[in-house]
Amino acid sequence: MNTGSAWSRPFFLAVALTIIWTAAAQAKTITIDDSGSQALEPSVTLRWKTAAPSRTASDNVMVGTTTIRVRINIMPWLRHSGRIYLALPAQQPGPIRLSWITQGRFLPGQLQSGNRVLVYAGAITAPFMEDTFTFQFTVAGTLMRRAVPVTYHFEMDED
Amino acid sequence: MHTIPPSILALRPGRTPACHGVSYGRGGLHRAFVGAVLLSAVSGAASAYTATLNPASPQTIYLQVGVGSFTNDYIYGGQPENNTTVNTVSVTVASAVLGNGAAQAMTTNSTATQSYWDGYTYCSVPAQLYIGGFYRTTGAATAAAQITATVPTALTDATGDSIAFSKIQWTSSGNGDTGTEPFPAGTFVNGGVQTVGSMASNTWNESCWTFSYLNNTLPPVGTYTGVVLYTMTAP
Repeated sequence: MNTGSAWSRPFFLAVALTIIWTAAAQAKTITIDDSGSQALEPSVTLRWKTAAPSRTASDNVMVGTTTIRVRINIMPWLRHSGRIYLALPAQQPGPIRLSWITQGRFLPGQLQSGNRVLVYAGAITAPFMEDTFTFQFTVAGTLMRRAVPVTYHFEMDED
Repeated sequence: MHTIPPSILALRPGRTPACHGVSYGRGGLHRAFVGAVLLSAVSGAASAYTATLNPASPQTIYLQVGVGSFTNDYIYGGQPENNTTVNTVSVTVASAVLGNGAAQAMTTNSTATQSYWDGYTYCSVPAQLYIGGFYRTTGAATAAAQITATVPTALTDATGDSIAFSKIQWTSSGNGDTGTEPFPAGTFVNGGVQTVGSMASNTWNESCWTFSYLNNTLPPVGTYTGVVLYTMTAP
């Protein structure tokens, strides 16, 4: 009997470790289908943040806003919980700051290109989430010789 | 995210085929499999917004020599306006000192004392002439805008006598100013185009010029005039 107990402990320990390792390996980030979203403007018009530049230093900041009716498909995570992020990958023309306000379904926030920010955390209770985002892009005018496409997306971290 | 018109969004391949055809035997399953593959491909293409950042009317230049116009000080949201006023700088040399080599300070009829950047009293009139402005442009490594003066050969009077323009010079400063002046001191050339300053892109630049007549020749008595045209050229 004693021998049997000595064998059984390592066995259960090994099983438990395996389960934990497996769970960690399955946690992943998935880009969310946002094809139901609609942009209210075809492009983002960048203007100088200030009409005239600074007296003491170069003042190159340009800003532009756009409004998007966001509708993301979160059906795959229905009846689960998750964390939704807005991600702005590092890309041309260079450093970009993105800030946004919402109607309340998602969190407002801001981020620098190359990062992501949490916009929702909690239970997924419906197949779609919708909100109206007003985005503001801020970029140095020295980077903006011509029109430049910038991509960003929502992504899900599964709990 | 897709910053494209809704009409284009409506034409994009949808996902609904993947939700159909999970029955009907072998052929149906085959269609369902194809649909699933399409779903995967479309999902990757559709799940990122693309916003086209478009710089609008990016280039602006403003040059003010003497009086100028702004709707308000810049820091209060003012916008530059056009002002066609031509100011004068002049001196009347007393006969007792005429040609003795003692430089004679010139004065201006310009009333511009305050910077349109913030309203700060930068120049003192009538002793100083304000010159300033800015140059707005997008893109990296742009060259500075150049400010040039197109100068006649000489100042002339009604009878054709003349005084060389090189007899006029100026110093440069500003109330409470430090550092190098964007529009430095100089002397007019006798006819031609000369550079009198430059502006790096996206900076506000200003100086106050104090003119003087060298008074080291003896021209005939008269009223001598000449017009200098200042031009700003941005790359």
